[in-house]
Amino acid sequence: MGIIYLMLVVSLVIALFFLASFLWAAKTGQYDDDYTPSVRILFDDEQNQTSNNQTNGSREV
Amino acid sequence: MSEHCYHCGDEVIGKGVHYDNKVFCCNGCKGVYQLLSDNALGDFYNMENKPGTKPLNSDVHRYAFLNVEEIRSKFIDFEDDKITIVTLFLPKIHCSSCIYLLENITKIEPAIQSCQVDFSKRTANIIFDHNKLSLENLALLLDRIGYAPNFSSQKEIKKKRDLSYLYKLGVAGFAFGSIMLWTFPEYLGVSEDNPEFRNFSAWLSFAVSLPVLFYSANEYLISAFKTLRYGSINLDVPISLGILALYFKSAYNIFSGLGPGYMDSFAGFVFFLLIGKWFQSKTYDSLSFERDYTSYFPVAVSRINTDGEEIVEIDKLQIGDTIRLRNEEVIPCDSELVSKSTQIDFSFVTGESEPVQKKAGEFIYAGGRVKGDAIDLRVVKESSRSHLTQLWNDAGEKHGKTENTDKVSIYFLVAVLVIAAITAIYYSITGSESVTEIVVAVLIVACPCALALSKPFTYGNIMRVMGRYGLYLKNTGVIPTLNEIKHIVFDKTGTLTKNDPEAINFEGTPLNETEKGLILITANSSTHPLSRAIVRHLLQEKPDTSSFEISAYTENSGQGVKAMIGDTEIRLGSASFVEAPKEEHIDETATYISINGRYRGKYIFKSSIRDGVPELLSQLEERYKIHVLSGDKEKDRNMIAEMLQDDSNLQFSCTPKEKSEYIQYLQNTGEKVLMIGDGLNDSGALERADVGIAVSEDMFRFTPSSDAIIKSDSLNKLDRLLKLSNYAKKVLRVCYGFSLIYNVLGLSFAVSGQLTPLVAAILMPISSITIVVIATFSTVFKRI
Repeated sequence: MGIIYLMLVVSLVIALFFLASFLWAAKTGQYDDDYTPSVRILFDDEQNQTSNNQTNGSREV
Repeated sequence: MSEHCYHCGDEVIGKGVHYDNKVFCCNGCKGVYQLLSDNALGDFYNMENKPGTKPLNSDVHRYAFLNVEEIRSKFIDFEDDKITIVTLFLPKIHCSSCIYLLENITKIEPAIQSCQVDFSKRTANIIFDHNKLSLENLALLLDRIGYAPNFSSQKEIKKKRDLSYLYKLGVAGFAFGSIMLWTFPEYLGVSEDNPEFRNFSAWLSFAVSLPVLFYSANEYLISAFKTLRYGSINLDVPISLGILALYFKSAYNIFSGLGPGYMDSFAGFVFFLLIGKWFQSKTYDSLSFERDYTSYFPVAVSRINTDGEEIVEIDKLQIGDTIRLRNEEVIPCDSELVSKSTQIDFSFVTGESEPVQKKAGEFIYAGGRVKGDAIDLRVVKESSRSHLTQLWNDAGEKHGKTENTDKVSIYFLVAVLVIAAITAIYYSITGSESVTEIVVAVLIVACPCALALSKPFTYGNIMRVMGRYGLYLKNTGVIPTLNEIKHIVFDKTGTLTKNDPEAINFEGTPLNETEKGLILITANSSTHPLSRAIVRHLLQEKPDTSSFEISAYTENSGQGVKAMIGDTEIRLGSASFVEAPKEEHIDETATYISINGRYRGKYIFKSSIRDGVPELLSQLEERYKIHVLSGDKEKDRNMIAEMLQDDSNLQFSCTPKEKSEYIQYLQNTGEKVLMIGDGLNDSGALERADVGIAVSEDMFRFTPSSDAIIKSDSLNKLDRLLKLSNYAKKVLRVCYGFSLIYNVLGLSFAVSGQLTPLVAAILMPISSITIVVIATFSTVFKRI
């Protein structure tokens, strides 16, 4: 039966961990804008490369 | 004729501008395309069809005020010796391509280190190197690619979002889950045999419940305490009573070793209440349309002093100062014209599309837009005291709207207390030993938690549904008032009527196909509202313009335009610009035309009734009393009267003040008034009315502080939207009914002394969830 006390404490620690992650996420603004990131993720990766060897000129549709 | 601009998607008229095998409607669009393709941002065009925004020709001095350190520092979030961080409001952001373009702006201007867009707020957070790029040039760059920043509503953006709801919700959710888990053995009845374990989990629950009481639930408790101290009552009082009864009963159980009590219900209860609040705040966030009317006034203006021009903030202007305004700038304060003459566009104030001619010495009200060359003005009134602000302030003290729930909560509290008292008396007479326990149970289970959730969910959802159909409410408090409306007052100009291309008449020597084509292509080069109307009108006749190309073009703002096409000269504009013969001058809004110096005639603009308005009025008349107010002369009286059964309530030639007084007069009978109008000159009346709805052609351009905004093409749905608000009332009643049933059911258990922890724990969250489900499903999928 002693194991149950350990499990209670473990469950509390796990729940506290998730509470802390939630508070951290809220504080760092991860819930501020729930639309833009869903669009941003679809952009081609080349935007992140600082030195791309794209030629000047348009790309055809 | 079916070609569309590669950048902005507008129809290309004439040959258009060709570049890179693509067609553009104007040089502005071509310029943006060139800028993007040169910087390898061609993907912009792959994401959405014709995503661009047409850049307006703006004056390079537009953002000069950003060079004044005092003003500049107001807009900056952070600055060190290398970089500056700003958050700018870019109202033109409208699609995913916008996000792509703005976030890749670093490719166009390497001095910008990063740009992060918040689509829902339409803001961009920009980090740039101020040694290489000034804030003014940044603003100009954004302007050039079609995203003119709006500096006037900066205050709105600076407001930090309140995160405390989320924190409180998190803490309550954490406690709810944990305590429920620890209480589980209690439900199974296994913990009675293990008093040691039972005590341990009970104390653990108690520890976790403390932050819920003192942090998560504090808002309810404080609000209840405050209202009680002022001798009044709100719904938070019975809620707090329930919360406290539940908490102290459970705490008593824990301290006397009787198990964890109802702590899981307590935490769950607070959790559900907070979800309701969070949902409410979320609804407000997505509709932050409320912008100060001052956003239309400039931030700073150039003042003339002995040394030349200096840029000063509007608030610092003094009577007698001379200010200089350039083309397209807004007049910030009531003033007197010093320059010889000018044209002022008051369309924003009065809805009148034709600019007004003003001569030296004439008085000019704030709010007009300068058309044409720069002018000098002498300040007559300081900006904060200008005529428009005054009108606004007069109506500022908004009628006290009594909250309906407050009445409900009084009945509720009285009923709960009476039942609790009767129960207490009954059980003490019969000599039961568990009187306190039963009374506490009554208080717990009578807590109007589900009742408190009904309103935010029902009204919040209805607000969203209305938004889908083009009516944007300021807050949910507008809905109950909408249901009590007896009178609907319409403004005429710009609300019931609009300038319509089909209502243009041509008078003069008939034009042939070629001439119509020439006029079309000339008018298309101008952005003036009347030119746009002529373009729309002529497009219906589909003249062939493909062989014309403009070789020379000049636009004299406020006067007219002159174009050379081949060897033909076309002039469109005011009578004097076109040199029309004297007898042709008329009072109505008109554009005059001459071809090769010979006067040919004029296009006369008539206002016509908006689509669907006659049907709308006859539908509304069944249930409401309709009034129409107009600032215009009586010329359109018959047109309006024809649409109404009872045409006794038409008022013409009203000043803004009279409109406001008319509303006041109707309210004196004790009945609620809905005012629908547009333009700043209706602002007083819109404020005065119980509900003021502003009609807007363009959501981002005109948003005065009325109670709601309706898109002009949604006006014909007004009747159905009002019915929708009635429907909300019905849904709310059903929700109230359900929460009452739950409360009565719970009470009957409690009063009969049978309220087991099991019943309380199940009944409470279930009642809350049912309400949320009913309110959501009956509204979200509602069609009108």
